[in-house]
Order: sequence, then structure tokens, then C-alpha cells
Amino acid sequence: MKSRTLLAWIGILAGLCLSRAASGQEKTVIQYDCIPNYANWGGVTALYQQKTGVRVPPDPKGSSVALAAIEKEKENPVADTAYYSGAIGYVAAQKGLHQAYKPKGWEKIPADLKDPGGLWWTVHTGTIAFLVNTSALGGAPVPRSWADLLKPEYRGKVVYDDPTWGGTSYTMLYGLNVLMGGDEKDFRPGLDYLRKLDANVLTYPRESIYNGVLRGEVPIWINADGNGYKMKHADNGPIEVVIPKEGTFSMPLVMGMVRGAPHPEETRRYLDWLLTPEAQAEFSKGFFRPVVAGAISPEIAGKFLPPAEYARARNLDLAKMAAASDALKKAWLEEIRRSR
Amino acid sequence: MRPLRAPGRSPGPAGPSAAWLAPAALFLGVAFLVPLATLVATAARGAPGALWLALAGVWARPHTRHALANGLGLSAAVSLAAIALCLLPAELLARRRFPGRGAARLLLSIPLAFSGVIVGFLAIVMLGRVGVVPSLARAVFGRPFGEGLAYALPGLFLAYLFFEIPRAVLALEAAFARMDPEVDAAARTLGAGPVRRFARITLPALRPALVGTFATTFSVSLGSYGAALILSRRFSVLPVEAYQEFTAFGNDAGACAMALWLAAISLVVSAVAAREARPRG
Repeated sequence: MKSRTLLAWIGILAGLCLSRAASGQEKTVIQYDCIPNYANWGGVTALYQQKTGVRVPPDPKGSSVALAAIEKEKENPVADTAYYSGAIGYVAAQKGLHQAYKPKGWEKIPADLKDPGGLWWTVHTGTIAFLVNTSALGGAPVPRSWADLLKPEYRGKVVYDDPTWGGTSYTMLYGLNVLMGGDEKDFRPGLDYLRKLDANVLTYPRESIYNGVLRGEVPIWINADGNGYKMKHADNGPIEVVIPKEGTFSMPLVMGMVRGAPHPEETRRYLDWLLTPEAQAEFSKGFFRPVVAGAISPEIAGKFLPPAEYARARNLDLAKMAAASDALKKAWLEEIRRSR
Repeated sequence: MRPLRAPGRSPGPAGPSAAWLAPAALFLGVAFLVPLATLVATAARGAPGALWLALAGVWARPHTRHALANGLGLSAAVSLAAIALCLLPAELLARRRFPGRGAARLLLSIPLAFSGVIVGFLAIVMLGRVGVVPSLARAVFGRPFGEGLAYALPGLFLAYLFFEIPRAVLALEAAFARMDPEVDAAARTLGAGPVRRFARITLPALRPALVGTFATTFSVSLGSYGAALILSRRFSVLPVEAYQEFTAFGNDAGACAMALWLAAISLVVSAVAAREARPRG
């Protein structure tokens, strides 16, 4: 009797799943690297579904992993589009993984933030910053500089993502090396700094730790500024965003259309929509700066640190960054993650 | 009167037909042999001898060699600890009827429902920087204990132990249930103390189950990657290295070679355990 009830339940569940699958009218666009808590992708994709009925499911891959997956699936693509931090998208385009597409509104993107051939373009920009949970510092002052982060009072309190997972962290890795005096061939200065920082690092996550920072598990996360503003203003966390004294790096976040995308028509419509004022304003709710000028409301713009702080952010050369990516990531793994 | 027969063994026409093995065999063939062939083919792609080179590479490169050694050590330690911890609870569950027995068994099998990644997050919730344990310790003793332990080796060990406990308990409980209580009772009547009975009767009778349980928990730990992926800061295990090789650099051959090592070691451990577990006589 019991097992019959169980079977009935299993049958009902299976039926529900099948009917959902069979209704099949639901259209989807597959976007690799679509992390709901990053740049408000959750809000953006929900708005798109509400407007058009097209679903863009969340995807937990960081840019680097998205790139590797698309390369792997080259013969039989699964993704329609992907979102990357600039250099990684540049690598994907260089490797021939993208098809050219210039979405509507192309002319509104500044020339240095897009590929002239339409292989990638920027949707919004961010800046590398310290996102500090002030209630989790255990009495230590809020760090203001890269030099501060090396102090013993931050032992076990600093986190940055594994750069072989996420493009944001790769931007930090490359930028730091430049800031410390290295270049696309000489990684020593950056790695020397990160080696010293390693003594204070709690962990090198390969998943989003947005919630960990909010809870205080992670006191200092080196990540994109917008994620910190969102924690502070949307989630009311005790978060302070710090632009380090010595300087930092701005980061274009780019997209491209995957070569052989399984849903080409839907994908083009979606990519068009992402450059509309409506979608661009939605990104700005995650405190990423829209690439289309004027899409951000004064209210949201007023919640960023003053422009004088952002004057310390440098632009990085995407081509050089892309060329160094494999070697630099491997060097980081050897010198930092695998050091013993 | 029916003739006495050993429970569980039913020779002759009464037993189920061997044809019932077919679905399982088919499934195993598709779910194991096909991927295995793909792995071998991928690792061997390119020049002849590439397979051996890739396999040797796992051993030659320090980080994969360390990761493999880490995994072997961790898995063995976790399996032994799980068995040691679970012997008494398993005996209790098998032999005594007490209120809450069902609930206890249910509680012990809960970890089976969690994937490694979830166990990793649980470890952070318990033993992270602001985990339950350090926070409680701070409230009670005025200073934290176990703060950030989740990211170090002890945290990883506890996480693995957490998901191996149900496997050990359930396997050992079944073994205790199969044991003949009369022998133990007879020994007691003859004046043997509890320690002596445990060493001379229980342990020898349990040997096949102990070996089998060790093999299962060891193989599951060796191949597990979710908890280590979330927790390990530096102490790496081979499945995590394979994941990283595959996802971050698209190095199929390298990742496949690591998978082959893991599969081979698990197969050898299981084969040795099966031999050891065979009743002697």
C-alpha cells in the first residue's frame, strides 16, 4: 500500500515535469556567466522574461570557465551568448568562438569599448574595489590601500576569487601587476605582492561569495565596486566600498554572440534589448555603470563614491591582458594557490 | 517442516533468474564503460603513447602528485574514523530496540541527501569565520574556537566524515544484523568478558563487512570533489585538480588522465576488498 502511494507520487511528479517540458512554448536564450547577484543579472533577466516571455536561466560560471566551456562545445554549441569581464571576452573573440553581431544601439557604445567587427561589445563597466563588511573587521580599521591589506590585522580576512574561475579577479590580477610595475611579460611584481597578501587570504573561492560578504563570513572581498554598493543599498548590509589609494582598474564587462548559437533569432533580440535604456537602467540598479550614456538615474549615480575617487582607476589594455591570460593564470596557480 | 537454509542464499530454481541482472548490467555498461572508453580515447588523443605520457604526467607534476597523495591520505583517515565512530551506533541500531531508534537511524542517514558542495557550505556555516561553533565558543568561553577551521584541513576532514558516516553506519548495521547472537551469548555464558568477546567474536565475524565498508567509503571520498572545491584553500585533491584543468584551461587529456587514476585506484581497492571479504575456509 505504502509503495503504491509512493509510486503514485513519483508518477505525479514525472507527469508535472513532462507537461512542463512538453508545453515547450517557453523560449530560452542560454547565457553563460549569468550570476543573479552580479551586475543585477537576476533583475535584468526577470524583467526580460516578464516583457517577452523569453527565459534566460541563471548560470554560475565565471568568465574564465564560460570561455573554456564554449571552446569545449565549439563543435556543438550550447550557449547563445556569454558575459565576460573584458579581457576574457576578447580572448573568446580572438579564438573564433563568437560570430559578428552589432546589436541595435551599437553607435551609442564608445569606440574603445567594442570590437569594430562586432565580435564583442561592452554592456556596462565596473571598477575593482575593496568591499568591506565593517561589522566583521573585528576592530581593525577599514583598509584604504593595497599596502594596508598586507597588515597582520587583516589575517584571514581578505578574499579574492580564483582568477582561473572569474574574470573580475583576473582583471585584478593583471591590473595589480601593472600597478606594481610589471607588464604583460613580467608577472613578478604582481605575484610578489599577492604572495605577501596570501598570508592574509581566507580562501580563493570558485563560486559567488556575495552572501558570505553580507553575512560577515568574508570581511574584505576584492571585487567589482557595484556588488558592494548593491550589498549596501539594496541589501542594507554594513558595507563600505573602498577605492584603494595607490590606484585601481576599471573593467569593461562585455558580451558576444556565440558562433553557432542554437537560438540565433531569440539571441539577437535579447542582445538588442540589453542596450535599451530600460535594460541599461536595470543594470544600474546593480550599480554597474551603463555603457549607454544617460541610462543611470541621478539617484543611483549619487550612491557611488565621488568622481574624485574614481579618478584613480586606470584603464587596462584589453589586447595585452588577453594575450597574457593563460600564462598569468597558470603563474598565479603555481605561485599562489599551489605554493606550500 | 521446511529444511533450514541460510538466509539470503537461495540456490536452485526458487531464486530469481539471472536475466534480472540485465538492466543493471546494461546501465553499468552505458554509464561506466562508455565514459571510460571516452576518457581513455581523450587522454590518448594525439601521438601514440600519449595516454601513458598523460598518466605519467599526473604522477610527475608536483601539484597533481600532492593532490593524489592528499586524497589517498584523507580518504583512508576519514574511512577509518567513520568506521571507528560508527561501530557502536551500528551495533545499537541492529541489536537493541529502543525508543527513538527509527529517528536515530533517520538522523544518521540525513547526510546521504546532501551533495558535497552543500556539505562544504554546511562546514562554513558551522566552522567558518563567523560559524556557529566559534560564535558559541565566544559566547560561552569568551574566546572563539574553530574560527575559520572550515578552510583548513580539519574542516575538510570533518566535512568528509559527515558524508561518510551514513555509509558506514548503514553497512555495519546490516552486518551486525546478520551476525548470530547465539555465539556471543554462548561466549558470555562461558565467562568471556566484553572486550574479549569483541576482539575474538565480533571483530572476526565483522571482518568482511569492515573491509567492504572501508572500500566503499574510501572510494566515495577519493572521488568526491564538491566539499573540497568549496573548502580547500590550499590542500587540494585530485578531483578538484581535474575540474580546474578541465574548466579553467580546457585540458581534456590532463583531466582525463587524473580521472583514470582515480577510477583505477577505486577499482583496485574494491577488488582487494572483495577478495578479502570472501569467507575463508
